Amino acid sequence: MEPWVVATGLIFVYLLVTVVLGVVANRQLSVDMEDFLLYGRRAGFVVLYLTVVASFHSAFAFLGSGGFFYTHGVGFWAAGTWTVLVGAITYVLGTRIWALGKAFGYITPADMLADFYESEPVRIAVAIVSVVFTILYIQVQAQGLGYIINVASDGRISVELGTLILLVVAGAYLVMGGLRAVYWTDVLQGVWMYLAVWIGALVLSYELFGGPFELLRQVAADRPDLLTLPGPNGFFTPGMWIGMTITLSFGIVFQPHLMIRYYSAIDGRTLKLLGATTPIYLMTLYIPTALVGLGGALVMPGLEVPDRIFPELLFAYASPWLTGMILAGATAAAMSTLDSILHANMTVLTRDVYQRFVAPDRTQQHYIGVGRMIVGGLLVVGYLMSVRSYDFLVVLVTLSGAGALQLMPAILGVCFPGGRTLTGAGVVAGIGTGLLALYVTLVVVPHPLGMHGAIWSLLVNAAVAVNVSAVTEPPSAATIERVHGEVERFVYGAE
Amino acid sequence: MDVPPRRTHLLPRTRDGRIAVVAFLALFVLAMPPVTHQVLNRVEPWIAGLPFIFVILLALYSALIGVLIWTYRRGV
Repeated sequence: MEPWVVATGLIFVYLLVTVVLGVVANRQLSVDMEDFLLYGRRAGFVVLYLTVVASFHSAFAFLGSGGFFYTHGVGFWAAGTWTVLVGAITYVLGTRIWALGKAFGYITPADMLADFYESEPVRIAVAIVSVVFTILYIQVQAQGLGYIINVASDGRISVELGTLILLVVAGAYLVMGGLRAVYWTDVLQGVWMYLAVWIGALVLSYELFGGPFELLRQVAADRPDLLTLPGPNGFFTPGMWIGMTITLSFGIVFQPHLMIRYYSAIDGRTLKLLGATTPIYLMTLYIPTALVGLGGALVMPGLEVPDRIFPELLFAYASPWLTGMILAGATAAAMSTLDSILHANMTVLTRDVYQRFVAPDRTQQHYIGVGRMIVGGLLVVGYLMSVRSYDFLVVLVTLSGAGALQLMPAILGVCFPGGRTLTGAGVVAGIGTGLLALYVTLVVVPHPLGMHGAIWSLLVNAAVAVNVSAVTEPPSAATIERVHGEVERFVYGAE
Repeated sequence: MDVPPRRTHLLPRTRDGRIAVVAFLALFVLAMPPVTHQVLNRVEPWIAGLPFIFVILLALYSALIGVLIWTYRRGV
């Protein structure tokens, strides 16, 4: 059997399994927004663990991180800092977000922030940040999916058609089963992508170098610049290391698809266990991608698109079955992030825009139906963005990683009682100026003084939020007491 | 209605909480610049067949995860 038939066939088998899971999830669905949007707040440890890690690691972790090691060397092992930090954030902050969501019925990030700051402008600003800076990921994942299926089929399925097929499949199981379908498919995807990347990297390292240790010895002998900081191109400066650590931890955790996962947990203790253990999966996934990237730099130097190093090595040196299994794993990595973002954007648009401002008093069934239609709209937008080239998208992609980071001062203000309280006006002003600073420090003058633009924007955001809050009306004492009192009770027991 | 003064949540109130925060921050600082770029930035000596910087960072990350698991087991 020809290699492309095996590789493409395995991807389609995988897609079929995800659709079957969507159908099964649909049969368990009740007519309830919390069930459709939040898994009924009943997600247990195993499901939550695998959906969080699968959503956190996108096609970038699977393909892009190998490309980063290939180009910039061991500096990308900084990944350990942000993956561990994600665990700590979940432990400390995620549990508080869960407790407030449970107590006050929050479904979206904007629900929590608008309630505490008593401000509809805060709701609008947060909803805009939530959608604009994650909808770009739909495009990125969709392009990754199209590329994967194009490579697997040896060019017989075009990137455009591959993108369309995979978007339709992800949309189909999401529409059928809501967050339950997303979680169940994420379980499959989380296991598959982890096994695939480890098996692929080990097989390649034994095939090409005689094992991982010999691979690293060879890198030290031939390309020692790949094993020291700041790397061959001077990319991993101290400022970049710190900036990536903050951006890829807080910046991703505050994106709506991950905050919604906090709301959906069955209890706080499950979330704490999640925080303590997810870094094991998240961090160790970068060990095999380091082997792929560093080894690939020796075997296939000068690749025009470094992100392609993993599939290029597979097609050159691995069996068709292994290649197919691993490319299906790459598909899983991209789809698990794509479906989560589709779901999160649907939730934000249904809850924060449609239900709040367009049609406030409709039935649960009505909102679920609207959510399903919104998914259809998002798929069209995602497809168009991924097959066409728009200049403004290049700018937005540059900003997207740090966009959600702008919610950090506001979220900390809600979840950490004590000290001066920010105000709604302060939060909106901080987010606005933070985004402006982000544009300046990432696009106009990238990373001034060697410090990641995200850090500059966060400093500007915090300074503006605090100063504007000092001269504007704070939330009412009753609201502060209600929300901070709940946090106090959750963390330290009865007051 | 006046807001009653509330103790800050930025500082841990229990002994186990303080140990967890100090241990996590101390280990985290070791995995950040300038330590990474000044102290850990070398290939030699190889440890367990791995380059120095890679294996030391792996050990630090593992220790950080260990702190989180210890914190969970202590019920903090």
